[in-house]
Amino acid sequence: MNPRKGHLHPLSRIIRDINAVFSELGFVFADGPEMESTHYNFDLLNVPKDHPSRDMQDTFYVERADLEGEDIVMRTHTSPVQVRYMKHFMEEKARGSVDFPIRVIAPGKVFRNEATDATHEAQFYQLEGLMVDKSISLGHLKGTLEYFFKHLFGGSVEVRLRPSFFPFVEPGLEVDMRLTGDSAPLKLKDRWIEIMGAGMVHPNVLRNAGIDPEIFQGFAFGMGIDRLAVMKYGVDDVRLFYNGDLRVVSQF
Amino acid sequence: MKVSYNELKKYFDENLLAPEALAEVLTFHAWEVEGQEKVGGDTVLDVKVLPDKSAWALSHRGIAKDISAIIHWPLTHDPLREQRVLEPITHEVVVSVTTPTCTRYNAALIKGIKVGPSPQWLIDFLTSIGQRSINNVVDITNYVMFGLGQPLHAFDAGKLSHTDGYKITVRAARNGEKITTLTGEAYSLTTNDTLIVDGDTDTPVGIAGIKGGKIAEVDANTVDIIVESAHFDALATRKSSQRLRLRTDASTRYENGVSRGLTTNGITEAVPLIIQECGGVLVGYVDTNPTPVTRAQVAVSLSKINSVLGVALGMHDVETIIKNWFGYQCNIDGDIISVLPPFERPDLVIAEDMIEEIGRVYGLEHIVSVPIEPIPLREINKRFYYAEALRDALTEIGFSEVFTSSFRDFDEVKLANALASDKGYLRSEKGIIENMKDVLAKNAPNSDLFGTDQVCVFELGKVFEVEGERDVLVLGVWSKQGYVAKKDKKILDEAVSVLDSLLGVGVNEIGDGIIVIDVTTAVESLPQPTAYTHHEKTPDVMYRPFSIYPYSTRDIAFWASVDTTAEEAEKIIRENAGALAQRIDMFDRFEKEGRVSYGFRIVFQSYEKTLTASDSDAMMQAVSSAVSARGFEVR
Repeated sequence: MNPRKGHLHPLSRIIRDINAVFSELGFVFADGPEMESTHYNFDLLNVPKDHPSRDMQDTFYVERADLEGEDIVMRTHTSPVQVRYMKHFMEEKARGSVDFPIRVIAPGKVFRNEATDATHEAQFYQLEGLMVDKSISLGHLKGTLEYFFKHLFGGSVEVRLRPSFFPFVEPGLEVDMRLTGDSAPLKLKDRWIEIMGAGMVHPNVLRNAGIDPEIFQGFAFGMGIDRLAVMKYGVDDVRLFYNGDLRVVSQF
Repeated sequence: MKVSYNELKKYFDENLLAPEALAEVLTFHAWEVEGQEKVGGDTVLDVKVLPDKSAWALSHRGIAKDISAIIHWPLTHDPLREQRVLEPITHEVVVSVTTPTCTRYNAALIKGIKVGPSPQWLIDFLTSIGQRSINNVVDITNYVMFGLGQPLHAFDAGKLSHTDGYKITVRAARNGEKITTLTGEAYSLTTNDTLIVDGDTDTPVGIAGIKGGKIAEVDANTVDIIVESAHFDALATRKSSQRLRLRTDASTRYENGVSRGLTTNGITEAVPLIIQECGGVLVGYVDTNPTPVTRAQVAVSLSKINSVLGVALGMHDVETIIKNWFGYQCNIDGDIISVLPPFERPDLVIAEDMIEEIGRVYGLEHIVSVPIEPIPLREINKRFYYAEALRDALTEIGFSEVFTSSFRDFDEVKLANALASDKGYLRSEKGIIENMKDVLAKNAPNSDLFGTDQVCVFELGKVFEVEGERDVLVLGVWSKQGYVAKKDKKILDEAVSVLDSLLGVGVNEIGDGIIVIDVTTAVESLPQPTAYTHHEKTPDVMYRPFSIYPYSTRDIAFWASVDTTAEEAEKIIRENAGALAQRIDMFDRFEKEGRVSYGFRIVFQSYEKTLTASDSDAMMQAVSSAVSARGFEVR
């Protein structure tokens, strides 16, 4: 052991673990800009301008527009990476270099214009997941998430789905999880925990990325990485991830 | 939306599920119920209706209807399925609409009413859902809005001009036109807003779809009223409501696209109630656009339903759900079921909408998880690969990683709507360097807690500049005294050489013990990796809150017999230093004349108080006694 070894930030640490779990299944790590156009952050994700669904996320606007005059925002979610990746994939596919299925994760920083407290930060990390192929169902979503939680947290896991709404999926879902068994962390054991939003990619989103929704379908999910880290490591305040205090980082 | 349990019960003839059970049913089949509360003899459910269902579910009838579908109990009556006719028609009120933002305007003229307090049941209902009772007429219009979802408004006809009948005009506002609302606030309008005006005098009497005007308020002296039940455009209402910063229960329903077909149901529900509670006689109704709402069938195949949901329903199951549970018309042709959505459900348009309805009512718990077969990883993310390589290389030589805020008080790229004045800009390269300096200055005084006399930190993150965003790496080395080249240069040189060999770019310190690298540019010219570096799964760690009290350090040096290992030496200290010893670090070891000298630094810190010098001395006394008792010579 190297006695003077430094410490990885807990969020880097958990993203490393997340990528290890998903890359085993063939999920590609995708990324995208944090400063994003409203076109990608909203329009292509079936969140029309002047629709009440835009109110669901409090958005930071940047004081400038892009080359096409689009408004620029700090991305409110990692979902724009879905569309960016699918577009890129379809270009590659046209060249004959790739083929379905699409399996993607996109961990990254997102921003919400919300007051901060122990469980909310105006900047945090989100994990996007996407799988598209012929006949992908909510059963695959459930299977993927069970696999992921089991490998991230240890123990046995149950996943429960509830109806919800996000404009870029239909049907839209909330996902709860419950860890059971002896190896589950004590604090989390046997409790249902609301963990993320998910659903089947809306046909408009597939269409916007150049994919025919009559042939292909898939699931998408998005969850807070900070929240996963809070649960996994027992950190009691999400703001500790961003204050640069080594009394926090040195424990990891 | 606040939902009265007593009001919901009116739609069912058997004993409805208890509120707790109802909340659970709704949570798993429709929406989250965020809370429930007893108010008087009622229970109020706080139902989180999301935007896709807000066109119809911001109403007790809408929620009752959904409950009916979920638990397969028929509604005893459904005001939206009853044939409602506007009879008689009156010509004493003439409505003219000159703007496309109003697609239907129903009005009713009632004469000879008596305005007074509402009956107790109505006061109870409004109180339980957090509304204020105003008077019987206004309360009934609100009751119908919360009941059916159709916003209504009542004007005091006596306050409108009457030459040859009443004239109501719906028109675009003029720039700068003013109106004072019922609650006394004055608003200045633009041509994008829509007004209800007295057609004779052109006086504004209401902001369409949002709020009524003071000038035609129903009060204790009101005798004749005109009741409005109209439909206003979702987008126009939303824009007006946002610009005026005036959001009302009415505007919320319009902006969510409540159906144009609902106006008749709303007004025919309200008028008999008004006459029942306030007296008076109905003169008649007006309807500007009786064209019924026509809906297109939504076709979906059974195979699509099953393949999206991951269930194995038969056509008979689907038909039962659609016909018997929801009560929707449908026809089946082979594998395809075509559903005719009712007029109040503008949200049911595409196959996926129907699949969601079927899935949630059938029960998402029936979805069986399908294991995912691994496939080869098609692509290695170059940026992530090299970011990970940098993290490995830097932590290996003693650097720890921090994340700092993307916001700064001043920088190049400004936010249009900052959270706080000290977070009004996004960090540039200069900004992230400033963040790094703050981190170093903040952590350096704590360096003993990390078992080092210098703090070595890095951050890898996005910076935002006029040209756009890019990844930079910034790292810094500080001691308690700040950056001292003589002492800190060594590790900085090591970092430079590690970064040089990894990224192949010239790296220079920019002063103050700080190095910054444009990672985006550096990575572009690096080879595409073919696999991620395998890392052992990180061991489980449980975070422990740190003490907010200052720590104190004490050193001890002693001669031990030459066969004494460092572990043994440390063990003696650990066993005797007490629970407040946060760290024990060896800083010195050398052998001389058949003996070995050890130097240890002990960091004491309490979670409860600031330790005094004598606290620390006493703990050190215990350590040195134990070391001496072991036969070692404390130096």
